[in-house]
Amino acid sequence: MAYDSDLSFNYFGPTKIVFGVNASRDADIEMGALGGSKAVVVTDKGIIKAGLVDGITECLGGKCAGVFSEVPQDTGVEVVDAAAEFARKNGADMVISVGGGSVIDTAKGMCILLTEGGTLRDFNGVQLLSRPQVPHMVIPTTAGTGSEVTNAAVIMDREMGQKRLLVENFNVPRMAILDPKMTEKLPPLLTASTGMDAMTHAVEAVHSIPHEPITDGLALHAIRLLYRYLPVCVENGSDLHARGQVQIAATMAGWAFGNAMVGIVHAMAHSIGAIAHVPHGIANGILLAESMEFNLEEAADGYAMIAEAMGVREKGMDDHDAARAAISAMREFTLRIGHPQRFSEMGVSEQDIVKAADLSLSDGSIVNNPRIVMDSSEVLDIFQKTF
Amino acid sequence: MPIKAMTQEWMDAYKAAIQADPDYRNIAKDWEGSVALVVNPDPSKNVPEPIYLFMDYWHGDVGEFVVCDKAKAESARFVMTGDYARWKQVAFKELDATKALLQGKLKMKGDLPYVVRNIKTVNKVIDILGKVDTLWPDDHK
Repeated sequence: MAYDSDLSFNYFGPTKIVFGVNASRDADIEMGALGGSKAVVVTDKGIIKAGLVDGITECLGGKCAGVFSEVPQDTGVEVVDAAAEFARKNGADMVISVGGGSVIDTAKGMCILLTEGGTLRDFNGVQLLSRPQVPHMVIPTTAGTGSEVTNAAVIMDREMGQKRLLVENFNVPRMAILDPKMTEKLPPLLTASTGMDAMTHAVEAVHSIPHEPITDGLALHAIRLLYRYLPVCVENGSDLHARGQVQIAATMAGWAFGNAMVGIVHAMAHSIGAIAHVPHGIANGILLAESMEFNLEEAADGYAMIAEAMGVREKGMDDHDAARAAISAMREFTLRIGHPQRFSEMGVSEQDIVKAADLSLSDGSIVNNPRIVMDSSEVLDIFQKTF
Repeated sequence: MPIKAMTQEWMDAYKAAIQADPDYRNIAKDWEGSVALVVNPDPSKNVPEPIYLFMDYWHGDVGEFVVCDKAKAESARFVMTGDYARWKQVAFKELDATKALLQGKLKMKGDLPYVVRNIKTVNKVIDILGKVDTLWPDDHK
């Protein structure tokens, strides 16, 4: 792929990665590198029940300032406020989040409050911080969101009836420990859908308007790893080698989309999620191939690279043919991993997709899509093809 | 005849250009609320002091457009802050405002999801800004 001669971009990815089976047991040692002496562990009740926190608190010993486990599926302002208060009372000087997206976003909000004081309601804006925040170490228990390396967090303000989007370069987690043992118990459907979240991050980073060589490199290798190892994880969750490769891929895809942004798939997934509560990863997985078809004429060169990464570009194919091969392979891939194929399977109604098509046009992600979307009927067409 | 940027005369011309635009009213019909732009000083570019600009937009109408003090700027619903050079890049459409926010080249106090939902309005006022014949502080005309 050729890049414009006036190529200009910022790439930002300051998070240290520690990887390995049982690497989470090194949390106490790694704390020192972050300058922390007492860490509060943030998690949710499901993670506690799965026994994923015990090993971490054991290794932290006296460096553990307590465990806050009241994080719900979609975190909120009041949860972040309460968690920060808990951390303050217990004398924490850093935060360790053990969980998925909601837990990690809670911890991101806490770091701001522990550094700047006040409540999260005082804090409404973008890139407002002017100094590094309390250190945050992430130990993900899913492989998909990439939130362990991004500058963004979404936190619900139920009082105001809206989601708050925090975007702060000074609040990117300082470290992520990727321990394959932490995702070992994920059931097949959750493995497949969180994996498709990562795959969508990678594909959208490649076709997004602000993509650049560094993000392309990260995204394409993420696609290689996901295409090879996600089916293995679905088939045999306790294959820790495969689990680890998928974790690495999700993190690389997080760096890619955190810089290159995402496009129409995320705009539509956010919208159908808001209207019909379809889980984000599943919505992405259902929409991805059809959205690639929609973008084909504008993104054929990027999709041709994706075909190479998937190993489906055959000799003699031009970019357009290779792009088509990538789209077919992506469809086949979702079938192979047992991922839902249609929104009707997810309890979505035809009225829901009409509303979601309208809402998609006002989602920020759509502005980075390679094909300019002029009308909601274009989005509705994709929804109908995946209904 | 170009008008000196970030002066009251320039703000008046900008407001008039928005009002005269045939598409603005319809594109901005959902936008509610004032926007302040804070221009950080850069003596090397002939901007020795911070500059505060306050603009009131309401459902396709435009209200007060003034050069103001810090307190007035901070009362706006959205307060966007950046270096002079960044703002000039935005005006010349060399820098996308949303991308600049996400990359930390501009800061914003206010509700980002609201801004991205109304991105067409933001892009429209930037388009119009580019049409105002402007003499920038570091231009040598």
